[in-house]
Amino acid sequence: MVELLIKNGFVFDPINGINGEKMDIAIKNGKIVEKVTRKAQLIDATGLTVMPGGVDIHTHIAGGEVNTGRIVRPEDHVKDVVSKTATTRSGTGYSIPSTFVTGYRYSKMGYTTVMNPSMAPLEAKHTHEELNDIPLLDKASYPLIGDWWFVLEYLRKGDLEGCARHVAWMMDITKGYAIKIVNPGGLESWGFGHNVHSIDDQVPNFCITPREIIVGLAKVNKMLNLPHSIHLHTNNLGLPGNYVTTLETMKALESVPYEGRPVGHITHLQFSSFGGDGWGNMKSAAEEISSYINAHNHMTFDMGQVIFTDTTTMTADGPFEFTLYQLSGHKWVNSDVETETSGGIIPFHYKKNNAVNATQWSIGLELALLIKDPWKMFMTTDHPNGGPFFAYPRILAWLMSKKAREATLKKCHKKAQKKSLLPSIDRELSLYELAIMTRAGQAKALGLKNKGHLGVGADADIAIYNINPETTDIARKYKSVRRAFKHAAYTIKDGQIVVKDGEVVGNVSGRTMWLDVQTAEPCRIDDEMRNKFKEYWTVEYDNYPVTDHYVKVKDPIIVKASV
Amino acid sequence: MSIVKSVTCPICGCLCDDIELTVENNEVVKVKNGCAICESKFIGYRGEHRIKTPLMRKNGKLVPVSMNEAVHAAAEVLANSTYPILYGWSSTSSEAQRVGVELTEEVGGIMDNTAVVCHGPSILGVQEVGIPTCTLGQIRHRADLIIYWGCDPWSAHPRHLERYTSFTEGRFEKSEWKAYMQKLKAQAGQKKMQSAMRIESGRTQLRPQTCSIPGMPQTMSKDGRKLIVIDVRKTMSAEMADYYIQVEPNKDYELMQALRVLVRDGELDVDKVAGVPVEYLKQVADALVNCEFGVIFFGMGLTQTAGKFRNVEVAISLVRDLNMRTKFSIMPMRGHFNVTGANVVSAWQTGYPYGVDFSLGYPRYNPGETTCMDVLLREENDASLVIAADPGANFPKKAIENMVKHPLIVIDPHMNATSMLGDIVFPSAFVGIEVEGTAYRMDHVPLPLKKVVEPPKGILSDEEILTKILAQVKLIKSKKTAKKAEA
Amino acid sequence: MIVLTPLRKFTFPVNAECINPDVFQGKDTAEIANLTVFEGNKQKKLSELFKIQEDGAESPTITINGDVSEVRRIGVGMKNGEIVINGNVGMHLGEKMAGGKITVNGDACQWAGGSMKKGLIEIHGNAGDYLASPYRGSTAGMKGGKIVVDGDVGSDSGAYLHGGLIKIKGNNVGQFLGFHMSDGVIHVEKNASTRLGANMTGGKIIVSGYVEEVMPSFTIDSVKPKVKVDDTESVAGPFYVFLGDLAEKGTGKLFVSKANNPHLKTYEKFL
Repeated sequence: MVELLIKNGFVFDPINGINGEKMDIAIKNGKIVEKVTRKAQLIDATGLTVMPGGVDIHTHIAGGEVNTGRIVRPEDHVKDVVSKTATTRSGTGYSIPSTFVTGYRYSKMGYTTVMNPSMAPLEAKHTHEELNDIPLLDKASYPLIGDWWFVLEYLRKGDLEGCARHVAWMMDITKGYAIKIVNPGGLESWGFGHNVHSIDDQVPNFCITPREIIVGLAKVNKMLNLPHSIHLHTNNLGLPGNYVTTLETMKALESVPYEGRPVGHITHLQFSSFGGDGWGNMKSAAEEISSYINAHNHMTFDMGQVIFTDTTTMTADGPFEFTLYQLSGHKWVNSDVETETSGGIIPFHYKKNNAVNATQWSIGLELALLIKDPWKMFMTTDHPNGGPFFAYPRILAWLMSKKAREATLKKCHKKAQKKSLLPSIDRELSLYELAIMTRAGQAKALGLKNKGHLGVGADADIAIYNINPETTDIARKYKSVRRAFKHAAYTIKDGQIVVKDGEVVGNVSGRTMWLDVQTAEPCRIDDEMRNKFKEYWTVEYDNYPVTDHYVKVKDPIIVKASV
Repeated sequence: MSIVKSVTCPICGCLCDDIELTVENNEVVKVKNGCAICESKFIGYRGEHRIKTPLMRKNGKLVPVSMNEAVHAAAEVLANSTYPILYGWSSTSSEAQRVGVELTEEVGGIMDNTAVVCHGPSILGVQEVGIPTCTLGQIRHRADLIIYWGCDPWSAHPRHLERYTSFTEGRFEKSEWKAYMQKLKAQAGQKKMQSAMRIESGRTQLRPQTCSIPGMPQTMSKDGRKLIVIDVRKTMSAEMADYYIQVEPNKDYELMQALRVLVRDGELDVDKVAGVPVEYLKQVADALVNCEFGVIFFGMGLTQTAGKFRNVEVAISLVRDLNMRTKFSIMPMRGHFNVTGANVVSAWQTGYPYGVDFSLGYPRYNPGETTCMDVLLREENDASLVIAADPGANFPKKAIENMVKHPLIVIDPHMNATSMLGDIVFPSAFVGIEVEGTAYRMDHVPLPLKKVVEPPKGILSDEEILTKILAQVKLIKSKKTAKKAEA
Repeated sequence: MIVLTPLRKFTFPVNAECINPDVFQGKDTAEIANLTVFEGNKQKKLSELFKIQEDGAESPTITINGDVSEVRRIGVGMKNGEIVINGNVGMHLGEKMAGGKITVNGDACQWAGGSMKKGLIEIHGNAGDYLASPYRGSTAGMKGGKIVVDGDVGSDSGAYLHGGLIKIKGNNVGQFLGFHMSDGVIHVEKNASTRLGANMTGGKIIVSGYVEEVMPSFTIDSVKPKVKVDDTESVAGPFYVFLGDLAEKGTGKLFVSKANNPHLKTYEKFL
């Protein structure tokens, strides 16, 4: 195995409290080590910024839903094509890049670990087949559990232990990483074209409320000691006035003991922070949401920032996509999955001169800047819902530069400009804070012990950017910093140089991580369960699990549960 | 003797995965749960038409050659071609399809699957308006209105009704099997009475029992799941339907557009559409709007008749409109067991589901321009590879003539119409019987295919054959670049 | 002026996006000869496929003499200048064109003038399917400019039309003319096929000849003595005026000659 030595870079490693110190990083056998021999290959990082490889906690890159998005949007691909080279495969973008291109583009920005947040368990094999074709990245997926019939039935009975064992089994058979809950109760209701409108609505036919699902699964998550908390897409997402639901959801989760570890993660918070009571007076509720978050510590969040571009929205929240369809009349995909979840896709163009879109753009940034602790709030676009992931450098520019924000805001719809809180916010994030929001914080929230930092023993996943923090005023020179984040000087994955000067030069498959949750007493698959399975699904029990055949590079993470 | 349970059937898009096989001496001797087609495949796949070794055409005759020689020859053909077509892919595993995309990219050709002659138009329709759909279990649990339009599941997807629609027990909807049996009994009884009457009265001609106006319904009001069949002729499935609408050939578009107007509470200026009285269409529109969960399944009666992808587009638009009033889904009845997989794999690797042209070094897609049938008809190709399909049997004559004019490589377990025309023929193992893999059901649910018996000695899988050809192509290309660099 | 003559009959598709006055502008023949084209999957220089001659006057015109029906994407996105093709031409001629003029003294294949924005295309022979129509999955149809076809036109032409004018003088037009159009004018001087204006939400389709059938989702509105094609031209009728498509908003207008369509008389009872 090659040894590497990254010399003399400005290192930002927030988990280890390192803030821009000049130091060397030694790498051997894909891990960070104390020191290497003289034979080590040298990377001169003088005048460059060195960070752990980027981590994305929420990005839709693979699976049935994503792929249907690809199929329905040839007009999106034709404007962004990628040719084959000696080292790389060909493919297409734009908002839903093909698998290879997804890997290359993330890697070019210095990312090394990404989380695919929405996997219908019935279609989990598809997700894993696609993940195998996404190179240069470590990956994991969150199975959608919030409307899974078995879970609803366990929770209705109040059988948390049974539910926990069941979820442990599910993680294993789907090769999943975290409990994903999307519009709990709403997706089951959507089976007959309905929805739930508050966390205390009854879910038809199941005698349970969203509140019971959320809190129940948060407790189950705790009993299982899963590395990540529940990953929650709130009820009423994307609707004016939904911040009330979001606040209620956060308050409901206060009932789950905190014990120093977050009990929930609300994803793409921007879409859950709308004020007003209709589209006409829709406004930001970032102030209300962020002041609650600043006063509580039991949760983490990611932005779901909107980019002004033509993108494709896709979520398991079928009823929300239906609302978008009613609003836009665009081509609309709905994809319900029996017994488990639903899904929807709508192409969407966020425009500066649209008051609602511009307000959404503002909300995302307001939240990120008003929430004081960067360990709570991470940068995402909910790719591709708010915009494609390769627009991340633009978000970084907005976060670190008031000037950049002003430049965009002044092109926005007048109504949105008037309502925006951004002019009143002076905060400009430092590289250290950005490193937290784009890697350290995300890795910590995900419980990934070997990622998001550069301490000895960590995975040698490293990004080097052409930014000299000593000589660059990043808030003023945001354009050059944006360029630097777009094309990493080096990306190192598992100790190998995969990107140099913004071009892919190496090929590493990347691993697929999943949880092997070990309960004291395993989930019993008895005849009753098998019979139920036959009733609930149209596939045989034996054909349901994701076998090892579907994972190219395996990285199971063993978790000892307390049940 | 061993019994293998939960086997996935590698025939049609239903992908029934509850087949139970009895295997004796490396041979399937008994098939349980399968339909007649399934049984005949598992029992009869080892026919006399099995190819036993690689073949190459020499002096006009196909003669046995070594695997090595065939691989070298095939790679030479592909690596040196200017516009090769790599066609088929629908009756093989997604694992083989993945290698196929890479091979096509490497040789700068066109990768096209059999969707081009069946549900390609469905995909074009979906690309214009999207598709509100669901997995088949959702229909089992919830659908109280089931429509088959331009397809005959009873003959082409025999277990579709029994596993996914009218005759299944769901959580919220029950099977109509008993009601249907009662109806059959009642009809049989009626027939007996009629013949008794006929004998008694001495009349030979009997007044028809049902309304004879074409397209007029044989309505039966009832609770529970309703079944509507729309087709140009009264198929077996239509016999079972609660409503049967006989549409004039090639008039599906008009019928559907008229239904859209009615569903939107509009009025029509005409009395009949596609041969169906508007009064009756109003009843149908009522049934559509008043269901709790409806679904339209459509087949080639829609995709391959006048209007083609616009027929699918309007069907989807009807379903979009209906979703404003109730819950409705729509799904194509995919034919080959893994044609969906061919679309899915191609889409995740290239962005496009079929007809992908790599000649410019990146994927391009434009059915009509980059689809294999059109390329063949314009005679633009200079080599072809056909795998897991039989265009020789179902393509137009001119297309096949143009295919045969240039080198033709065939990968197939059988000596079929295409392999008989081939220049280089590779025998392959049966996916889902002799090789494991993955296939995608018509509703995009992936299912594992099992290996239940050993393939004949020396016979490789599609995936292995393609991998060998790909490796050889890469070798030839790297030699070429090295030569160029030297020069 | 540059004159291009194909050196041989092309059997493989040739992608020659570079044949465009904007690209040729300011280049000498040597530079033009070096431009990249693809024949099948082989990258070539333009001069390997065409004889390139400079012909006197310094005008941004490209003339192609000979059959180029396998040559695709000529004049894509062109903004200025003129292309004259003396022969048949391949797909995507003048797609997304934003200005200038293209004349075809022969037939054009599919997607001629697709998603065109401005300029003029004159096709003196026939045009294939998807004339002026957008790419798969896109709803960005022709926005402006003018297309005149002397001969027949294939199916699905003028789909998602959003502006501009299409004039068709031939005897035959394929089905689904003006599909989902929202603005602009299509004038068929002779006969049209079925499914005319399906899903249209705006604009005008004028048929001076015979129409086999009007979609059931159209409703008769009135009879008008004449109709305006553009600011300079109007056609004398009388015309039946239909509104549709009722399956969409029902705000498009279909003008069908009364004299040539006696079978539509039944509609008069609704007037």
